[in-house]
Amino acid sequence: MAARKYYAGIDLGSTMTKAAIADEEGNIIVKVAGPTGAEHRRLANLVMLQAFKEAGLTLNDIGYVVATGYGRVNVPFADCQITELTCHARGVSHLFPAAGTAIDIGGQDAKGLTISSGRLVDFVMNDRCAAGTGRFLEMMATTLGIRLEEMGEISLAAREKVEISNTCTVFAQSEIVALLSQGRPLPDILAGVHDAIASRVVRMVSSLKVRPDVVLTGGVALNRAVVAAITEKLGCPVLVPEEPLFTGANGAALLAPEMARRAASKGEPVRERHLAELRLYEES
Amino acid sequence: MAIYMGIDIGSSATKGVLLKSGRVAAHYLLASGGDYRAAAQSVREELLRKAGLKEKAITATAVTGHNVSNLPFEHKRLADIRCCARGIHFLSPEARTIIDIQALSSRAIRINEEGRVTDFATSEKCAAGSGRFLEMMANILRIDFEEMGPLSLESRSPVSFTTSCAVFEESEVISRIAEGAAVPDILAGVHQSLSEKLAALVHKAGLEECVALSGGAALDEGLVKSLEEKLGVKLLLPQPRLVTALGAAIMAAEAN
Repeated sequence: MAARKYYAGIDLGSTMTKAAIADEEGNIIVKVAGPTGAEHRRLANLVMLQAFKEAGLTLNDIGYVVATGYGRVNVPFADCQITELTCHARGVSHLFPAAGTAIDIGGQDAKGLTISSGRLVDFVMNDRCAAGTGRFLEMMATTLGIRLEEMGEISLAAREKVEISNTCTVFAQSEIVALLSQGRPLPDILAGVHDAIASRVVRMVSSLKVRPDVVLTGGVALNRAVVAAITEKLGCPVLVPEEPLFTGANGAALLAPEMARRAASKGEPVRERHLAELRLYEES
Repeated sequence: MAIYMGIDIGSSATKGVLLKSGRVAAHYLLASGGDYRAAAQSVREELLRKAGLKEKAITATAVTGHNVSNLPFEHKRLADIRCCARGIHFLSPEARTIIDIQALSSRAIRINEEGRVTDFATSEKCAAGSGRFLEMMANILRIDFEEMGPLSLESRSPVSFTTSCAVFEESEVISRIAEGAAVPDILAGVHQSLSEKLAALVHKAGLEECVALSGGAALDEGLVKSLEEKLGVKLLLPQPRLVTALGAAIMAAEAN
């Protein structure tokens, strides 16, 4: 059997599935993302396969696989599951060793974490209400007839930010329809939308002891206007990784060696993993 | 002969009641559309037409619901919560708690034996507790509002939803449809979600029998059944759509 020198992390989010592979030295060598969709298992397999392909590896080169994210129980080839909070803390600290606070805004939830020496200290989370999550932005983009990816850029041209008075995503949607019919410019409406999500998220994390450095992750961190609005409301700089989608998967891959050692010290046998297991799902 | 008019301008419908010598001479309901002022004026004209009266025959008009400026007729503005309480008290004097479900909000109101409001709790921040929620779910399931109740009553094992957010529940409904869940079971689950929100609101204001339901959602038998089960009481349903307009007309009469 070939030496298993690599470690994999897979993060099944509500909207996107992310995979990362790390080498023995703790360098992330490959990152792949794909939509989660309704078929968790199939997509988890496809994203993992793609990561192997890009790294020129097979599942049997991997010493340990850690699954995280809300769909983490649906990864048949994972050796263990770790909560996304722990993985995010690890992933963020890897990129920003001085990070004291991480805010992750995902497709259907948002989390705030405080971190000390790379470890999770405290957290707060919202997965009960679409306001303050990526879903809010998605709904607004649909209503405004623009793509999610262009919201941030358009918003930066705003001259007079509108005030969105509704917190609820459904009511805010009606509100922006009314604003459009009043002839308010798109950038001004978008600036209001970004301000609304930033307020919601900052209110959530304010129940934590927010300490610098503050790092923003998750797909929403790709939106520059949201980053700017959160920066303004927190009153301190907000760091954003180059690829904010992958902090959870990175963290999972980086935690994998530790988990492998722990398993080995308990005398747990190295689990055989079969690519056939993957193909089965791919073909179904 | 004293003639009083009550108009209730709602987000989805505008309702009107005309009282002649203390009896309902005409009532009318119209989709509000985007122009509340025009809706109120249309309701007024239609009530007069139905009763065969001229505008100058009206002794007084009371308007409640949305605060619309520059209405083209003389009127007195009243708070809808009082009008709702007054109308319910007139039709069902035994009612002590009212659940008023509006398009964009809902309310639990406590009233005393004279029909006066003693306490109330409002939910207006979240679509999940409003009539809008039912509308969204009917849309997703591609059924008419009128079908929701009868279909829901056919359910044998209601779907249970894990979220209380209207947006997230919409996604869950789509997933359940994809998994092949029966429409009646989904609807019964939807009704349970809404009932849970409403019950929480009722308990905030305090539950006191008897309980009356007001607002168009009260015509949904599925919601009524689910809410009755959750609260453990039988609900009174006195003219749920028109009761607030009726209350406005009665209060206009009482003020004169």
